[in-house]
Amino acid sequence: MTVVVTGASRGIGHLLCRRLVAQGIPVVGLARRIEDLDFPARSCDVADADAVRLVAHQLRDERLPVRGLVNAAGIASMNLALTTPARTAASLVATNLLGTIYCCQQFAPLMIRRRAGAIVNFSSVAAALGLAGESVYAASKAGVETFSLAFAREVAAFGLRVNCVAPGPVDTGLLRGLTTAQIDAVVGRQVLPQRCTPEQVCELVELLLLDRRAATLSGQVLIPGGV
Amino acid sequence: MMSMTVDDALDLVLQAMQSVLPLEADHPSARDSDTPLVGEGRLMDSMHLIDLCLQLEDRARELGFEFDWTSDAAMSRSHSIFASAGKLAAEFARQHRAGSAGQS
Repeated sequence: MTVVVTGASRGIGHLLCRRLVAQGIPVVGLARRIEDLDFPARSCDVADADAVRLVAHQLRDERLPVRGLVNAAGIASMNLALTTPARTAASLVATNLLGTIYCCQQFAPLMIRRRAGAIVNFSSVAAALGLAGESVYAASKAGVETFSLAFAREVAAFGLRVNCVAPGPVDTGLLRGLTTAQIDAVVGRQVLPQRCTPEQVCELVELLLLDRRAATLSGQVLIPGGV
Repeated sequence: MMSMTVDDALDLVLQAMQSVLPLEADHPSARDSDTPLVGEGRLMDSMHLIDLCLQLEDRARELGFEFDWTSDAAMSRSHSIFASAGKLAAEFARQHRAGSAGQS
């Protein structure tokens, strides 16, 4: 089976691609810049519906047995809603929410044809906590969660599972601009007040994607550390 | 690419419908272009509808064009291309013509 991973050039998406390849699982990473990637990848801006459609058609025509999709592409802008430029707000929604929707729309049919597959979308603990200073980002992620829950029902009859992972602060580039005190304050609100590592997030994603013990999980929002 | 009439497209759509949801040959909807695909009186559930779209996508590839059932044009021309088999066929034929024009 082949797993499509967005946001493959950095952060969780990049780490996940490398981990899957190391396990012998074929991946197709999607990212805007793919020059430096050492695994199979396609250049694609997930906020561009036509670009996503083009890649999906390529994979369909190449008859790749796509059985998994991880929508890890995401951007963050920590700002008060009242001081967030309209263009930034639009960009957050375009990449985080619409990018997830476009990829689900275009890659799910590849799995529907095979009557099997798993999709993992990325939310954030910011959605559940309604974090001040992250309102637009949190809203985009809340949209991902609700989309995932409804989409899980829409594709369940085709043998597809859709889940959402909503980590707290993970040590990736998305934390740029946050102080240690701000990060600690968020982590302190978790049930398990410890920072989740990128590896732990990947392990959860791999469980949802690959492990038959997760075969009954769909329509779930999983928050590592809990809130 | 050969030209395609709406009647040709309707034959393809009805064949695909038959494949997705087999009907008796004498079923009143088996050859009916007004058969609703969604809404009241529909024959198909949402699963059948997606399978129908995938079948038409495959058929379109065989014919040398991409059938996009989510395009703005598809939705704005008649509000919903899924209102009936006939409307779906008309959109299929339109996209076939557009694909032919793009290749010429």
